[in-house]
Parts: sequence; C-alpha cells; structure tokens
Amino acid sequence: MRKKCFSYIIAFLIIITLNFIVPRLLPGDPLSAIYGEEVLLKLSGETREYINSTYNLDRPVAIQYVLHVISIFRGNLGYSIYYKKPVIELVFSYIPYTIILMGLGMLISTALGIVLGIESGWRRGKRYDRFILFMMIFFSGFPAFFMGACFLIIFGVILDILPFQGAKTAYSGMAASGITFDFLRHLILPLLSLVFVFTPSSYLLTRNAMISSIKEPYILLAKAKGLKDIRIRYGHAGRNSLIPVATHTGVRLGTVMMTGTLFIEIIFSYPGMGTLIYNSILNRDYPVIQGSFLFVAVLVLLINFLMDISYVRLDPRIEYAY
Amino acid sequence: MLEIRNLNISYGSKKIIKDLSFELGSREIIAVVGESGTGKTTLALSIMGLLSQQSGDASVSGEILFGETDICRIREPDLRLLRWKRISMVFQNADNILNPTMTIYQQISELTGKNRDGSSIREMLATVSFPVSRINAYPHQLSIGERQKALVAMAYILKPDLVILDEPTSSLDPDARVKIISTIKKLSRDRAVLLVTHDLGTARSLSEKTMVLYGGDIVEMGPTEKIFSGPRHPYTRGLIRSYPGMDRTKDLQGIRGKAEFIETGCPFHPRCTQSIDICRLLKPVLKEYGGLKLACHRGGIIPMLEMRDIRKSYNKNNVLESVSFKIYEGETVGLLGKSGSGKTTLARIIMGLLEKDAGEVYLEEEPVKKWDAGFYSRVQMIFQDVRSSVSHRLNILDAVMEPLVIQKKVNRTDNITAVKKVLTEVELPSDENFLYGYPHHLSGGELQRVIIARALILSPRVLIADEPTSFLDPSIQAKVLKLLNRLQEDRGLGILFITHDPGVARKVSDRILRLDEGIIKNERLN
Ligand code: SF4
Repeated sequence: MRKKCFSYIIAFLIIITLNFIVPRLLPGDPLSAIYGEEVLLKLSGETREYINSTYNLDRPVAIQYVLHVISIFRGNLGYSIYYKKPVIELVFSYIPYTIILMGLGMLISTALGIVLGIESGWRRGKRYDRFILFMMIFFSGFPAFFMGACFLIIFGVILDILPFQGAKTAYSGMAASGITFDFLRHLILPLLSLVFVFTPSSYLLTRNAMISSIKEPYILLAKAKGLKDIRIRYGHAGRNSLIPVATHTGVRLGTVMMTGTLFIEIIFSYPGMGTLIYNSILNRDYPVIQGSFLFVAVLVLLINFLMDISYVRLDPRIEYAY
Repeated sequence: MLEIRNLNISYGSKKIIKDLSFELGSREIIAVVGESGTGKTTLALSIMGLLSQQSGDASVSGEILFGETDICRIREPDLRLLRWKRISMVFQNADNILNPTMTIYQQISELTGKNRDGSSIREMLATVSFPVSRINAYPHQLSIGERQKALVAMAYILKPDLVILDEPTSSLDPDARVKIISTIKKLSRDRAVLLVTHDLGTARSLSEKTMVLYGGDIVEMGPTEKIFSGPRHPYTRGLIRSYPGMDRTKDLQGIRGKAEFIETGCPFHPRCTQSIDICRLLKPVLKEYGGLKLACHRGGIIPMLEMRDIRKSYNKNNVLESVSFKIYEGETVGLLGKSGSGKTTLARIIMGLLEKDAGEVYLEEEPVKKWDAGFYSRVQMIFQDVRSSVSHRLNILDAVMEPLVIQKKVNRTDNITAVKKVLTEVELPSDENFLYGYPHHLSGGELQRVIIARALILSPRVLIADEPTSFLDPSIQAKVLKLLNRLQEDRGLGILFITHDPGVARKVSDRILRLDEGIIKNERLN
C-alpha cells in the first residue's frame, strides 16, 4: 500500500510540473503568450500583481518552480480575463456540479452493472442473460456525446418532459424545496445518459467474473452447504467476482468517467468542468483551461486512488502481496 | 440410512459408475478405496446431489435412497434442506475449496445461523485441534492442514446423519493424520460415514467395511480387516502392495498397465496377470466368497502351486515331515532354512527330480500326475549354482532357447524373436554380439539374468528360485532381486524363493515359511 501511495504522489508532482512547464514552452514571454500583450497592459495594478505572483518570471527557474508549487497549494491558479475572476474561484463554482454528476453516475452505473452482471452470469445462457447481454452490448457501442444527444432529443425536445439545459431554471425565484426539485429535474437527463454509457462496462466485467467464479470449487462447497440461492449468488460468487471487477475498472474508470462526464455536460450545457473548459477554449481563456486541467487530473487521480483502496479491501489476499 | 441401487453415472459417453449397489447402515463407516479416476469423488458428489453442478453433461440412473427420499429424483429446493443438515461432506482439495474472501468463522457461522453465539463453533474447531485463536483468519492465512481441519469441523457442526469424507487426510502430515482420524472416529460415533480415499492407511484405521472400486465397479467388498489382511481380488492386492504400509517389508510393487475404462468383460482384465478368456468377454458379478464379496471369474487370486502333506525320508531319516503350503498367483513365498533343512529336497520334489514318499503337488488346483513338458512349461526353476546350470558348449542364444527346443518348438526365427524379447525383459542386450557369445564370458550378474531369461522363455506361472543370488555381490544381488520383483508385477509369477538369508527373504517375500527339521512353520514378516 505504501508503494501505491508513493506512486500517487509522483503522479501528482508530474501533473504540477507539467502545469509549470507548458506555459513556459510557449513562444515568447509566457505571460504575454497566455494573456495577450494588450490585455496585460489594460489590467489594473492589483490584478497584474496577482498574475505576476503566479509566474515570478524575474526569479531563477528553481525558485519559480517552488513558488509555483506554493501558489498552487495556496489556490492561486491565475486570473481569468474573460470572467474577470481568479481561476480558482471559477473552478470552485463549477466543479461541484461535475462531482455530483459524475459521482452519482459512477455510483448508480457501477451498482446497476454489478447487480445485473451477477444475475446475468448466474443464469448464463438463459433467456434473461441473453436479453441483458444483448442490450448492454448494444448500448456499449454508443459514445457518450451521442447517447447524450439522443436523450436530449427524445426526452427534452420531442417528448418535452424534462429540462435539457443547465442545472436550474433561471430567474425562477422558487422556494428552497422547489429549488432542490428543480435541480434534480435538471440532473435527470445528463445523469441518465451517463448511466447508460457507464453501465455496460461494469456489467460486462461483472458477468465475465461471475461466469468464472461459479465454476470455482468454493461454489460447490457453498451449494453442498445447502445455503440459500441468493446467499451463494451474492455472498459467495458475487463477492468474489467483485475482485476482478475492481482491478479491471480501476485504471480505466477515472479517465473514461471523466471524459464521458465532460462531454455530457457540454451537450446539456450543464455548468460543470466540461462546460467551463469548453467555454474557455472558445474564448481562448488559457489560464482557466490550465487550471481546469489541473483539477480534472487531480480528480481522476483521486478516483483511481479510491478504486485501489476498495480493491485491497475486497480481497483479503492482497494485504500480503505488498 | 443410505441405500444405493443400480447406480449408473456417465459423463457424456464415458461411464464413471457402473451399476453400483450397496447399503450403509446408520452407524456404519464404509470406506470406498481405489486409484484416482475410479469414480470415487463422482460417487460422493452424486450422494450430495451435486453432480449437475460439477459437470453439465452428467447423466445418472438408478436410485440413491437416503432414508425414504431418492436423491436422484427430488427437486433442488428439497435437496437444499437435506444438504449439510442431514448429509455433509468433507471435500478434497483443502487448498482451494474454501471461499478465499471469507474467514473460517464466517464460513462456518453461515451454517449455524447468526443468532447462535460462536461458542459451538469454537468448541467444534477445538475438537478437531484447529487453533481457535485463528478463527478469524482467511483461508490463505492458514496452513493446508489447518484448512483441512476446518473442513472437518464444518462437516460435523450441524450433526448430520451422514458424513461423506473425500480424502479427509490427504494434506496432513502423519502425526496430524493419526490425530484427525481418531477425532473423526469420535465425531462419527452416532452417524453413518462414507469415506472415499486412495489412502489405504486411513481406510484401514477408520472403516469397518471396505469397498474396492475399480473402473466404476465394485470388485471386492467386505470387512476392512479381512480385506487388508487377505485381499482376494488381484486389484485389491495390487493396491495394497503399492501402498507403503508400516507392516510391509517387501519392496513396493505397482499394478501393470494404466487404468482405462473397459466396456466389456472384467474391468481389470487388461491389467490382471491371471486373466483367462472369459475375463475379456463377460463381466464378473459380485459374489459371496467366505465372508467377502468378490467380482472375479476365478474366485480371486488363485493358488498356483500347492503342497499337500509332502513327506520324504532318506534311510529312515525324516527330511520332510508333512509339508503343506500354497503359493498364490503373483505371490512370493520365502522359504527360509539352514542348509540341510530339506529346502533343496523340497525344491527337487516340486520339480519332479526326486520321488516323494507321500503327499500331493497341485498345480493351478489340479493334482500333478506326471512331470511332463506341460508341467515344465508352467513351472520353472532357477538353480543355485549358475555356472553349472548352463552348458558351456552352447552360446547364449541356444542356451536361452533350449527349453523351447525341448518343448518341440523348432521354428528358429520365432524362437530367436522370443529370445530377444525375453532378454530385453531381463535387461540384457539382444544384439548379435551378445547372442552368439558364450556364457563363461559373462559376469555373475549377467549370467544370472541369462538363467532367469531361460526360465522365463516358456512363460511359466511359477518360478522356484533356489538361492538364486547367493553367488552374487550384494550390489548385483540387489539388481537381480529388483528384476524378479518387476517380472512378478508384469507376469504375475508365483515365486518360491528359497534362501538361508532372512534379510533377503524379508525384502522379497509376501510371506515367509521356515523349514525346520522337515517341518514348515509360518513366519511373521516383522
Ligand atoms: S481373473 Fe479375470 S475376472 Fe478375476 S480379476 Fe482377473 S481379469 Fe478379472
């Protein structure tokens, strides 16, 4: 486990370092390359001070680097000319939506995938299994943005029963409970799209693991013990099937989930990091792009870390492998 | 308690269990022994109703009656109620049968139910001498022996009526084995046990009755002690001979050939050294033979040579006084005695070289009237003095071939082929150089092999070996004894091994007779 933690720290340092190097590789003075010559001149003294403190271009490179790291930990990621706000503030106002959307999406799709996978694997070859398997393979072919667009058109435009833009109705002036309800309504379509995109992979993994688990000798023992079917299915076969699911999901999950979520956000103009990055690209708002990527990368790392921990907890044999 | 009637199990077209019937009383312990692949585990799983779980294409016919219920016919939910509460099992493969992600305690407590406290589990684990402090360990944290003990505890925790033990001791060291056997005995006092094992030691110390399975058939069944002390079926004897028991001094012997599934005739016939034509054609049925049940056309291992009340005296000096004994097929009987005790006289009487005063020699259960070519094709002798037992005018080819010529087999090409074959069998070269060499050019060990080859060329059933190795160096003697042992395994020779050396006798014999003042005494092997 200690080794794992160490590699996460290394990964984190690499991300910070890249964040430090990339703007300095741009042609010319990084400050003007990023913010633009004229813009810099127009800025007030205070803002310029703030920007300068993130770059410290007058200092030696090593010191620049140290100061860069310190300023990141202080939350100083630069200043958005377009939004006229420090990047950190922007990120903090957008990232909760992403976390909610992705977190829920991940939770629901993993749980759904596992349950369906266990049931399907247990009944391998039966009608139930074949049906679910077909549906999952069908949906697993859809890229995230396509799935999102489909839901948007069907439920938002044609059926017109659900909102498909943003996270809340603007200027509604509703009561607190109304606001929550409104928020949830807005969440439905993006979340549903995410669930449809993510479920097949965890389903397929679980089903595969389940099919090999049910051939294991301990299942024979569990059957011989006269345990209830559901206990054998979930307590014995299912439980052991989660181990390969966790290992396989681990690395992939973070990146796949993240990119999926970002795309879905853009489709539904959901005010999360995806939308923020998208808009900043359109506006060439480099400091925001840079800061957002830093956060997204850290988020991915965090998810992977959580997967690693759960994997260790799932398989008692692992502790000893380290 | 358990009655199995005409049980047939096959996987696809392969018949694993053939028409098996037996009964197990409610307090009886029956051992089912046999090599791996004889269908023991299949039998065990079928009683648990788990065959379909193990293999999709298993087909079962017949009845497995547990009390009133036929396990082959009840529905899965009813079967679930029988499992473990009434019938439990200790599975083999202690190394991977337990669930790797559950602790021992969890795996046992899911049987007893959560509401009961763990004390009964602890108690049971302590009974099987599982280290109770490790109750919350995962299987991979335990030694294989500990896992095996946990499995035994698990099998008895619900106090079932019938426990099936599939190799319950296979992963234990000898000390632990002895302990767990006595624990199992204690735990099994009020219940029926079906022990399935290839470990004859465990079978012998645990069971009252033993059933020997070969190729899915019962070949021998009866009281355990009886089977182990005097096996009647050639397969049972082969099994016992290949098992390194503490009370055996003879070198281990295997069973020739490999186990294969035979459709017609006796399942053992390709490996049996006393099979006759009918064995290939007709399957023997299980019949009662003096307290044992036996499936063999010849009534079990046959006596090859029998002495009945042989007497001989020279000048009123009794050399042999009422000598009687039997040599069974594939058996070595050691005949010990000081020089002048009448050993050689006896050998010469058997071979018809000397008139007996009274008594009868029986060969394959028929009295011998004439010592003719027919007799010598079945009984051959190896003499003590190797140098003088072949004529030095004959080359090796002719010396080995001589018995064939005496038997009027004159086709020289056939004979040469036979000679070459038998020479290879006794581990001698069979090239021209060797064949046309002369006996006096050979070393003692080589010469002894030539003599053995010569005795074997007629494929005799009995070999009388009179001090066959006394002129040889110990290291060569060891090789010749090994050779005889192997030849016996392959051909089922009955051997009378005459020697004055008790050490040698112990090493080669299944039984030892001592000839003392003309009287035969049985000798214990250790
Ligand atoms: S003698 Fe025949 S029936 Fe008896 S075991 Fe041998 S082959 Fe089978």
